[in-house]
Amino acid sequence: MSTELKRDLITLLPRLRRFARSLTRSVPEADDLVQDTCLRAIGRADQWDRSQPLDRWAFRIMRNLWISEVRKRAVRLGQGHVPAEDSDELRTTETGEAMVALGEVQSHIAALPSDLCSVLLAVSVEGYSYAEAADLFDIPIGTVMSRIHRARKTLAAQMSDPKDGAHDH
Amino acid sequence: MTISEEKLSAFLDGEVSEDEGRAIEAALADDPDLQASLEALMAADALAKRDFAAMAEEPVPLALATAIQNAPDGAPANISTPPRSGWVIAASVAVALAIGGGTGFLLGQNSPTQVAQTGGWLADIADYHAVYARQVRHLVEVPADEADHIQTWLTGTLGADVRIPDLSVHGLTFQGARLLVAAGRPVAQLVYTDADAVVVALCQIGTDTPQKAFAEQTIDAFDMVTWGGTDSNFVVVTDEGRTDLTAIAETAARQV
Repeated sequence: MSTELKRDLITLLPRLRRFARSLTRSVPEADDLVQDTCLRAIGRADQWDRSQPLDRWAFRIMRNLWISEVRKRAVRLGQGHVPAEDSDELRTTETGEAMVALGEVQSHIAALPSDLCSVLLAVSVEGYSYAEAADLFDIPIGTVMSRIHRARKTLAAQMSDPKDGAHDH
Repeated sequence: MTISEEKLSAFLDGEVSEDEGRAIEAALADDPDLQASLEALMAADALAKRDFAAMAEEPVPLALATAIQNAPDGAPANISTPPRSGWVIAASVAVALAIGGGTGFLLGQNSPTQVAQTGGWLADIADYHAVYARQVRHLVEVPADEADHIQTWLTGTLGADVRIPDLSVHGLTFQGARLLVAAGRPVAQLVYTDADAVVVALCQIGTDTPQKAFAEQTIDAFDMVTWGGTDSNFVVVTDEGRTDLTAIAETAARQV
């Protein structure tokens, strides 16, 4: 069971890293988060319902771990116990500078803040419905719709003015 | 009916009711501005998909795959987050290992001896194969049409003569090469594929104590045949249980 789970998680790594980067907006933090997610999944292998897609289970674990981390940091930074979505942590690297600095893919999406980027990824690429994304991110469906639209508008603005955003490939 | 831009985005995602969809289609037919807005959203979505796709094609740091593969079964369910300094150290090793943007290993930023200290070089080769054999767009670091450069580059890096054997007699086409690190030492990985795009890799590591005879073994479900040359050890590795792996190794051994 564990060997099979590890193999499947390793196969998923590119997509797990991508989702982690959409959450953390930082490559090193994303890889830490991916590793923690996989260890958590392996530790809870007995809870893996193989009738359900492993990716969705792993994404949920990852999202929960990240929210937990964000809340811990908010407390450490003296913000008290704030809703994760309101934490500065989710807004600190809106320019995506951390990702660019590491020489990874320099993309338009690097300029999207976490709350927009992760929802756009889930819906537009990973195939979540709005309702499923609302469940994953624990936000209302209307907020999913709003974030996806804001993400696209931000990208559209970059396309019309390339200087106003991330670098091209 | 006034169509909000958010609804237009939802329309793009198939997240409006049938009635709303019909109303939006009717409005689009009569409103060039609305049509332009939809096209801008579609273009933005295509851009996002392209960037996200590129992100998923970036090579995975070996350290990450290895950590998962080597994770103890039944690891504690409640992981205590390591202190940030620990994360930073782990990240720096991962960065040193990362093959990003087609630039290959970021050697020189960290000593390669930090990695692959256990299990010998073949265990590391198996880990690499698990990750890279699934790459499509980034299968190799330097493509086959730069064969001369590959030989010069890898010979200089390994400190041992690297040659690219012709394995076409086994239906294998040379695709290019990567520089890996295994057991703390540089490794030349020459990548071949068969007609079904299955990867067979020939890896070479410099050594003062080359292996004497051919040997077959399996690590993590990957079949390997190893042998030694003048100043190097070699392994051919694949994951498809080929019956001719020893023959491939013998063909390679005659040319390296």
